[in-house]
Amino acid sequence: MSDKEKKTTQEPLIAYTTPGARIKSAFKSWEAFLFLLIVAEFVIFGTANSRFLMTRVIFGSLNDVMAVCIISLFVTFVLITGGIDIQAASILGLVSIIIGVGWQDFGLNIWVAALIGLICAIACGALSGFFIAYCGVQAMVITLGGSFLYAGIALLVSNLSQSAAYQGISGFPEYFTFLGKYKVGGVVPIQLVIFLLLAVIAYFILHKSKYGRKVFLVGTNKDAAEYCGINSRRVIMSTYMFSGMAAGIAGIITTAYVGSSKCDLGSTSTMSIITAVVLGGTLSTGGKGSVIGTALAALVVGILRFGLPLCFKVNSQYLDVPIGLLLIIVVVGRAVLASPFMQNLLAKSKKKA
Amino acid sequence: MEKIKNILKVREMTSFLCLIALFLIVGIVNPTFLQLDNIMNCLNGAVIYTLLAAGIAFVILVGEIDCSIGASLCMCAAICCSMIRDGSNFAVAIIVSIIVGALIGLLNGWGVAILKIPSLIFTVGVMGTVRGLVYVYTDCKWVENLPPYYTQIAQFKLGGLTGIYVFALVLAMIAFVITTRVRQGKYFIAVGDNANGANLVGIPSTMVKVIAYVLCGIFAAIAGIVYGTRVGFIQPSTGNGYEMTAIAACVLGGLSLTGGVGSILGSAIGAIIISSISRLLVFIGLSSDYNDAITGVVLIAIVVFDAVSQKKKVTKTRRERLLARTAALEGGKAE
Repeated sequence: MSDKEKKTTQEPLIAYTTPGARIKSAFKSWEAFLFLLIVAEFVIFGTANSRFLMTRVIFGSLNDVMAVCIISLFVTFVLITGGIDIQAASILGLVSIIIGVGWQDFGLNIWVAALIGLICAIACGALSGFFIAYCGVQAMVITLGGSFLYAGIALLVSNLSQSAAYQGISGFPEYFTFLGKYKVGGVVPIQLVIFLLLAVIAYFILHKSKYGRKVFLVGTNKDAAEYCGINSRRVIMSTYMFSGMAAGIAGIITTAYVGSSKCDLGSTSTMSIITAVVLGGTLSTGGKGSVIGTALAALVVGILRFGLPLCFKVNSQYLDVPIGLLLIIVVVGRAVLASPFMQNLLAKSKKKA
Repeated sequence: MEKIKNILKVREMTSFLCLIALFLIVGIVNPTFLQLDNIMNCLNGAVIYTLLAAGIAFVILVGEIDCSIGASLCMCAAICCSMIRDGSNFAVAIIVSIIVGALIGLLNGWGVAILKIPSLIFTVGVMGTVRGLVYVYTDCKWVENLPPYYTQIAQFKLGGLTGIYVFALVLAMIAFVITTRVRQGKYFIAVGDNANGANLVGIPSTMVKVIAYVLCGIFAAIAGIVYGTRVGFIQPSTGNGYEMTAIAACVLGGLSLTGGVGSILGSAIGAIIISSISRLLVFIGLSSDYNDAITGVVLIAIVVFDAVSQKKKVTKTRRERLLARTAALEGGKAE
């Protein structure tokens, strides 16, 4: 196929419409809605408490949710293939404790320990991915088993250390903790920079590369993908390796940020990850989703999580209510809008106009 | 011989044999384990998960999933216990908490069956909301100082078994009989097996799904009430992660998350396996830190084994069919 032909086949239909229509459709898109949601959050929280708008406060608070943001970027891949990943949070804890034990009790260089942690995370993802892709077991079951298994291994690894498990291992050298505490230009925390960098990388992998097209095709119709000569098993397995890798990176960053390594770090974030991915417009049945949506949705949830306590004095333990409600309202709203009754109503109102 | 083969083919049998093998292995390593008392303790410890797994088995049978049961267990336990603590009638407290559980189930059923939202996502949203409401309701405090008559219910024993475990087992058995022997009860499996097909033969599949969720909520509420009598206090974080363990129990018991395969009897067996692992570890002499790792390994091993053997079975039947067809063709030619 010549280059010219390739271009025309890959160009989406929208290219044939006018630029005005393109802008219009961009405004209608889910990402635009999420972006407006973020703006609305800034306006509401900003008027309620002007402290919210201080860059130091915003960036400082975003640090707490960066792990969830980073993991959800790559869990998007898994959901697009029609799977689900609920083990990432356990892998995060495993990586964290491997870094700690490797550095303190085995005397490894901290970077070597981090690298080992990252490799373990990818291996964990590969193991689960192998069972899902090659043995045909449901993703939910395997990653559920994986979440038990990896959390259990993390606990066992923590027993290798002299420090008590609940205390965690701390006292990391400064050149490591800078990963969580350094601020680029004195303002922007390095975590946010890493997140944005990963978001760009994930965007290019998923939306601009051949591999990304394969991921979408496998999610839309696995059999069709097989007939097209795509090794769908390998693609499925690789998405779990990606999400494992993301969990590994998040584990390194969180360990550096918190300054101590614990085996149960991030163990409560499974549901936040799924919330971010789904809120980002990814279909859990597969075939549809976007990295930008996930990134924006993760930020929406993150900002809500620190904005409500700061500006409206909401007890931070009550925060599950607004986030759960947000998720329910979004999915119910989308389901109602997509129902035939509402579609008819919309069509009628358009005709009248 | 044929009969034995048929019994082995029943999916619950695999889990049951796994349970017996687990007990025997521990018994070989440490013979003191094989006493009636220890085994009874294993069963008694499974009471909460037996109830939760029996409830969620309805939802899994229709091919959906419910992540909110841990939160609704806590909500119902908190409501029941706080009402009893404040001097309310025992029966009223139980009825109110069961109604709350049923309402949470109804909400789940509405979202999943009627609005057709993917169940994992909707129930995760409900889970977050309910868990948050528990914090609001209890004001982040423990519910304690329960009257002794309530906590003594858990002490009541029938033979070696506690009364509450017998009660849970009877409930699970009733549910098992209803889903396998009663006409309307079989709808759950029919819908899970093939929702469109069930619709075509006149089964109200949407309604069946809603009922499955309501039953799941009611079982979670009963589990919450039992939790209150057993433990004697309710923390706002009670039941965190129980949903995953209950799902794991169902999977261990031979239920397939795609729906339509397995039975509630299996889920009760799975609940015993999963809740006795930590107890068995003590007898082997390992620390309870191994609990999660072993649970994970057992879970993955069982499902992978199941999936691989299913796959083999499918290819085998395909080959047999193909051979039969070619044989028929050749036979036709010879004539």
